[in-house]
Amino acid sequence: MFDVQSVAHQGPQSRQFNPYTENGGTILAIAGADFSVIAGDTRQSEGYSIQTRYAPKVFQLTDKAVLAVNGFSADGKMFVKKVKQRLEWYRHAHAKDMPIRSIARLIQTMLYSRRFFPYYVYNILGGIEDDGTGSVYSFDPVGSYEREACRAAGAAQSLVQPFLDNQVYYKNQTAGQDESFPTHLPLPSVLKLVVDAFTSATERHIEVGDGLEIYVVLKRDSTAIQSMEGVQEVTTSEEGQRVFYIRRELKKD
Amino acid sequence: MNTLAEQFSTTSALSKLKKTQALLEDEEMSDAMWGSQAGFGNVAQGSPSFAVPAVPDPSAFLRLHTDDRADPNCKIKIQHGTTTLAFRYQGGVIVAVDSRATAGSYVASGTVKKVIEINPYLLGTMAGGAADCQYWETYLGMHCRLHELRNRERISVSAASKYLSNLVYSYKGMGLSMGTMICGWDKTGPAIFYVDSDGTRLKGDLFSVGSGSTFAYGVLDQGYHWDMTDEDAQELGRRSIYAAGHRDAFSGNTCNLYHVKEDGWRFIGNYDLSKLHYDGPNNVPGAGYGYDIRIAGRASALQPAVAAAA
Amino acid sequence: MEYNGGSVVAMVGKDCVAIACDLRLGNQALGVSSNFPKIFPITDRIYLGMSGLATDLETLRERFRFRVNMYTIKEEREIEPQTFAHLVSSTLYEHRFGPYFIEPVIAGLSKTPSGDLKPFIAAADLIGCLNFAKDFVVSGTASAKIYGLAEALWEPDLEPEDLFETISQTLMNAVDRDAFSGWGCLVHVLTKDKVITRTLKSRMD
Repeated sequence: MFDVQSVAHQGPQSRQFNPYTENGGTILAIAGADFSVIAGDTRQSEGYSIQTRYAPKVFQLTDKAVLAVNGFSADGKMFVKKVKQRLEWYRHAHAKDMPIRSIARLIQTMLYSRRFFPYYVYNILGGIEDDGTGSVYSFDPVGSYEREACRAAGAAQSLVQPFLDNQVYYKNQTAGQDESFPTHLPLPSVLKLVVDAFTSATERHIEVGDGLEIYVVLKRDSTAIQSMEGVQEVTTSEEGQRVFYIRRELKKD
Repeated sequence: MNTLAEQFSTTSALSKLKKTQALLEDEEMSDAMWGSQAGFGNVAQGSPSFAVPAVPDPSAFLRLHTDDRADPNCKIKIQHGTTTLAFRYQGGVIVAVDSRATAGSYVASGTVKKVIEINPYLLGTMAGGAADCQYWETYLGMHCRLHELRNRERISVSAASKYLSNLVYSYKGMGLSMGTMICGWDKTGPAIFYVDSDGTRLKGDLFSVGSGSTFAYGVLDQGYHWDMTDEDAQELGRRSIYAAGHRDAFSGNTCNLYHVKEDGWRFIGNYDLSKLHYDGPNNVPGAGYGYDIRIAGRASALQPAVAAAA
Repeated sequence: MEYNGGSVVAMVGKDCVAIACDLRLGNQALGVSSNFPKIFPITDRIYLGMSGLATDLETLRERFRFRVNMYTIKEEREIEPQTFAHLVSSTLYEHRFGPYFIEPVIAGLSKTPSGDLKPFIAAADLIGCLNFAKDFVVSGTASAKIYGLAEALWEPDLEPEDLFETISQTLMNAVDRDAFSGWGCLVHVLTKDKVITRTLKSRMD
């Protein structure tokens, strides 16, 4: 029989407000001389269960800015929605898209306004600056940010980032006599690195896999992407830069 | 009675929370958000407002989810670990910092800018919460500009640091984490103020903050003189950061060096600590700071165990 | 594991194996020694790497030396890598409920019935659960980072010099993203006729 007394004798009970979960996945962005590549896998998980094999983590904000969000997907969705709303208001007020460095500062203030109730999201913003150079901005959950050339975040960041250090920054590599390493990688090499990084992470991390979505923000007059297959243009206007979308399959086990 | 006191007190953290909660509804759709002021537009209405969870003890909530020292498994990892230093001498102020950010054992970044350029005459350093330092020191920069516009003269380092100190004090107990040095040159000459999130504000000649500060102090105290030349002072800053980067696991990667003089601050350079270890600041192979580099080839040198075994 | 820090990795190549470790010994955040190898020769063609608590590392090293010597005397032959792996496993499991805080990595060349030498690697957790991988094994505070690099850089049938480059790049770039590993690296490549041992010049922060 159910013993009411024993329940009552268990003493005081505490309840904790726990609004956060971790939904796995990994995001990554690399900046080139006149382009920026922003990628993320599409698996969404909670603990050992896969909730869905297709949940986008990378979102096109404007024709020169793409935002990747990772962490708690509910917070991520809400955050992207609010950023998009603010960018739309900016468009109405100024009749132009917000420059990417301003989007970065906007994201800082939006994240910091929740300093005491943080969005549990790691953001990476990629795109093209007003001066035409490719850029990547990475954020922590409460808004500290930095412009970088490449950055991985999320569940497999510790697997991917050292690989990028080695292959993008040529860390621990010494150029041969009369040789030097390029300061910026060409787009095809960057795309290869991104795919390699994600297939490796998929092998060794259970929260990474299913699909890979890659966005390429390209300077309008660049011809870097012309001869590539499976590339879909998703540019929305005649002004600004051009944005392309690439999808790849990852292992589903 | 208590509630009444809280309602009208301006320093109580709880009353601040209550007020911001009440403000929040309006704040969500303020006019500032439409404009180009990128969220800082709300400056006209006083200090910015923050969303707060609807729980009895918001700071306990925050600690539960963000303090990785209390619970390494907490979800939101705020980046920690640093060495920063600043000292005052005959030729101005030297500010030197490392560039590593760690989350647990993972080196989250090796390129962090821990010197925040508040304005051409003021520098702030970053230790503790990266976002707290970045945000509030940027915010301080805006207020320093407003001070200039209102008073037709630059703000003193003392006033600027006191502004920051009062600001973070009003959030005391809510979980802000910053240990910063506000450095600059004003009418009184070179000045350094140490300000932290507990509300401490100290004027002094020499400070070092962060997990590697003890190692930096070791070198700094030994080499410090008021009458140093500019070159010697810069070298001392660099050498101190190198020492901390070498011994402290949570400091390292590169050293950023700044020099503040009468005409404002100047960025001296970014030095890879690995290069400093092997080649020194002038890039001469074998002239590095590293202990094993300095003793190489001497009788007292320890033979690597492996080389002997092979 | 994070008290002293340190990492070890082993990889299989074509008729060769490589094993590498960092050289840091720390006391939590404080670096104490930059000359603390974590790999020891057991026989001419077995190398044992250990990461974890330094005091247990010293104890186990002596323990394994004793047990391998006893084996050699009793059997009148050198121990094989597979056998040694099981010796490691059972030694660790003896302390199932109060374990040594050590994750061992074994690299060796084992004799086939035809008399050839075949690459062998294995790793175990701190209570001796063996993992016989065909590609690479890792342990230590930088293990996640090593996995990421090894998975991307390693390929089958690498010649000794290429395997050396692969394991070196894997370890160095991994420990540079780990606060508790680094301060120099040590690499051994075991081939049929010789062992190549090199210390690497790496970041010292």
